[in-house]
Amino acid sequence: MLEVSGLSTGYDSHVVVLGVSVDVREGEAVAIIGSNGAGKTTFLRAICGLLPVSAGDVRYEGRSIANLAVHKVARAGISFVPAERHLFPEMSVAENLALGAFPNRPDPDQQSLVFDLFPRLAERRRQAAGTMSGGEQQMLAVGRALMSRPRLLILDEPTTGLAPRLASQAYESLAALRTLGMTILVAEQQVPLVLGLADRGYVLENGAIQLEGPSAELRDNPTVQRAYLGVV
Amino acid sequence: MTTDDHTAEPTSATPTRAGTYRRESGQGAFLAIAATGIVLALVPIWIGDSRTLMGVAITGLLFASYAISFNLIFGSTNQLFLAVGALAGVGAYASTIASDRLGLPFPLTMVIAAGLSMLIGGAFSWIAVRRSLGIIFTGIVTLTFSLAFDNLLLGQRDFTGGETGIVVKAGSNTFLRQQIPPYYVFLSVVLIYLVGYVVLHRSHVGWAFRALRDDEVAAELTGVDVARYRIYAGAIGGGMLGFVGALWAHVEGFISPATFTFVHVDVPALVMLVFGGIGTVLGPVVGAAVFTYLGEVLASFSQLRLIADGVLLIVLFLLFPQGVVRALRSGVSGLRTRRRSQQ
Amino acid sequence: MTAVIFDGLVLGLQFGLLGVGLTVVYGMGGILNLAYGSIAVVAAVVMSVSMRAGLQAGPAVVLGILTAAGISLTLNSTVLKPVYRRRGEDRVLLSLLLTIGVAFIIDGLLVWRFPIEALGLNVGWEPVSIIGVRMRAGSLLASAITLLVGGSLIFFFRATTTGKAVRSVIQDEVGARLCGVNPAAVRTLIFALSGVLGGIFVATQAMTSPVPISAGFEFTITALLVTVVGGLGSIRGAFLAGLILGIVNAMSSFYIGSYITTIILLAAAALTIVLRPSGLFGERA
Repeated sequence: MLEVSGLSTGYDSHVVVLGVSVDVREGEAVAIIGSNGAGKTTFLRAICGLLPVSAGDVRYEGRSIANLAVHKVARAGISFVPAERHLFPEMSVAENLALGAFPNRPDPDQQSLVFDLFPRLAERRRQAAGTMSGGEQQMLAVGRALMSRPRLLILDEPTTGLAPRLASQAYESLAALRTLGMTILVAEQQVPLVLGLADRGYVLENGAIQLEGPSAELRDNPTVQRAYLGVV
Repeated sequence: MTTDDHTAEPTSATPTRAGTYRRESGQGAFLAIAATGIVLALVPIWIGDSRTLMGVAITGLLFASYAISFNLIFGSTNQLFLAVGALAGVGAYASTIASDRLGLPFPLTMVIAAGLSMLIGGAFSWIAVRRSLGIIFTGIVTLTFSLAFDNLLLGQRDFTGGETGIVVKAGSNTFLRQQIPPYYVFLSVVLIYLVGYVVLHRSHVGWAFRALRDDEVAAELTGVDVARYRIYAGAIGGGMLGFVGALWAHVEGFISPATFTFVHVDVPALVMLVFGGIGTVLGPVVGAAVFTYLGEVLASFSQLRLIADGVLLIVLFLLFPQGVVRALRSGVSGLRTRRRSQQ
Repeated sequence: MTAVIFDGLVLGLQFGLLGVGLTVVYGMGGILNLAYGSIAVVAAVVMSVSMRAGLQAGPAVVLGILTAAGISLTLNSTVLKPVYRRRGEDRVLLSLLLTIGVAFIIDGLLVWRFPIEALGLNVGWEPVSIIGVRMRAGSLLASAITLLVGGSLIFFFRATTTGKAVRSVIQDEVGARLCGVNPAAVRTLIFALSGVLGGIFVATQAMTSPVPISAGFEFTITALLVTVVGGLGSIRGAFLAGLILGIVNAMSSFYIGSYITTIILLAAAALTIVLRPSGLFGERA
């Protein structure tokens, strides 16, 4: 579904990610793990068109989307939930969700799916997004991303700023989405959580893939255990 | 705010950031000022016979003084004062009213004028710093001051003569009203301002200016009292404007609101400064000279003047955000190095 | 007294409209368009000239409004192009300097080609009495149009998908792009809208008093004050600030005199910036 091959990107002339290849097959959940500053965010932003791809290619359903404008990537069926969420703070929950469906009118079925997944959002329908708690904002960001009926959901550190309990709740909803057949690519520092969700994972360090494999294998890998799972 | 396409270029040099004053080696800056002084001192030999042309030349020096003061405020400390004309106007009217109405000796009134504008300029900076207004809001607040001042002049007819202006009595029958001496008076002011600018920038104040221009937060963290240096620049620049405005009143013998409006002073001063190069020592003088000359050439097409100013403003900001003079200089030195490398 | 307040309301509604045209452009992309008032005056000139050439008032007004929209769009796609490569305050500053240049060019051309042109739209109906106040038909029509346009604007921004897309770009451009909104397209729309509002503004002004060729700078300043008092980028704020400034304007010019009025307005704006930089209604969109 998504094939990233040899992607290099960065800010201005400063290369952060060098020659990274990742692929995601339909229906899979794939994790990208790595420490702070490893290049996870930069990598995801380049896929979504927020940063220029200086080398390599990004193919989505057989078509190259490298350097496509952000809104075109979004309309092609890829929804990106950035770590900073980028909600519309002075709009209500309902309006934020409606914009998720842009340029179409919001689909009631999809909206009830979102409300089923996050009942909290249904309660707060009229509240301004900027006045909600971090956990609720996270739900809204995912909900908004789902409104366009994406085929691929990309999340960057969905647990940023969340208390541990809320973080695992966030992953429970992602697991629920999986059972509905959603394809997911997620970058995460909280390795135990994300490996519980993902089928496969990539370890990104210093802008390059260090390791890849099925989640179970990664969980058993001594390097991963030492670096991310706190096993000595 | 982000750019709409992801191929965002590295934020290129901007009109404001472009001109950080460079410490020129040795006595270079003073020599350059001296050379400029000598060249300008010779101008009356060429046009001294013509009262009109001498008037134009004096106006040119007036604008050079405006541009130097504006350079100190905007170029050195990033404060967009859109009240250059108004601050000069405050000086001009204060000095005129104090000398003609209150009967104070006019040299004293010029000191008063400078002091008043200094207070106002300092107050602008103080408010901007205290309320952390940023470039744009500083610009808008000072612009409202310009407009309010203009309206006050127009409204307070008894004091200011309204639209028709007032004749300045003090200073008549002195050398200030002769044909050539006032030119040298203004030239001395320009040279003093230039030397003052360089001296200031070589002192610890200049250090602070550079630091706060390059990175305000970093400057603050390293212990530069950003607020204080902003206020210094606002006050000194304001005082310079008030003084030269007052001097103009006594030389010209007549002032009116139109002499000090935003459109007639601030915009040309800005164009001249950008043309010459923000943050350069001689840029304001070069800009003023070029535009005074151009204005004279275009004088017979006065209705086209506004259009020409507009076109220049756009072209300058789009093509030479660092100033034409600097662009030319780097172009020339680029050629020179290329030629040298070919040899 | 009532009559003065009525006058203030009419003026205030017009100010509001003028302010919205400037504030949406600012909110959209950090562009402070100081050529805005001059563009509105071009609309007035087109209306006046085409009416003298024999066109009916209605089509002439539409033609003027379309011209303003066209100039506004051209500005966005030419002079302002390089501005979008800058960010934050640099962007505002460069846009401000460039549009001053554009304003000079427009004003210069107008003064050169149409030195004595002025637009007056005569609404030839009888004055109408409202709560004992005789209102000129021109004022009434002007306020009716302004209210209608204002109402449609609110509907557009609140209830339509496109309107929401515009607000989304104002509030979070990255978020909007991730939702599939194309900021460049929205910007085009907003510049056109801004020109249209400027055009409608001069038309309603001309129903109460003639619009002279030299009014561009004053319109820009009024729009700027309204925008700043209302909070840069706030549509609702611009309307409310317009109303307040309109009433203050009418009251003080009736009771105090005109030049002090201007000074009071300017001081009010300066004070708002200093005390509440986010505007009286400091909330965006």
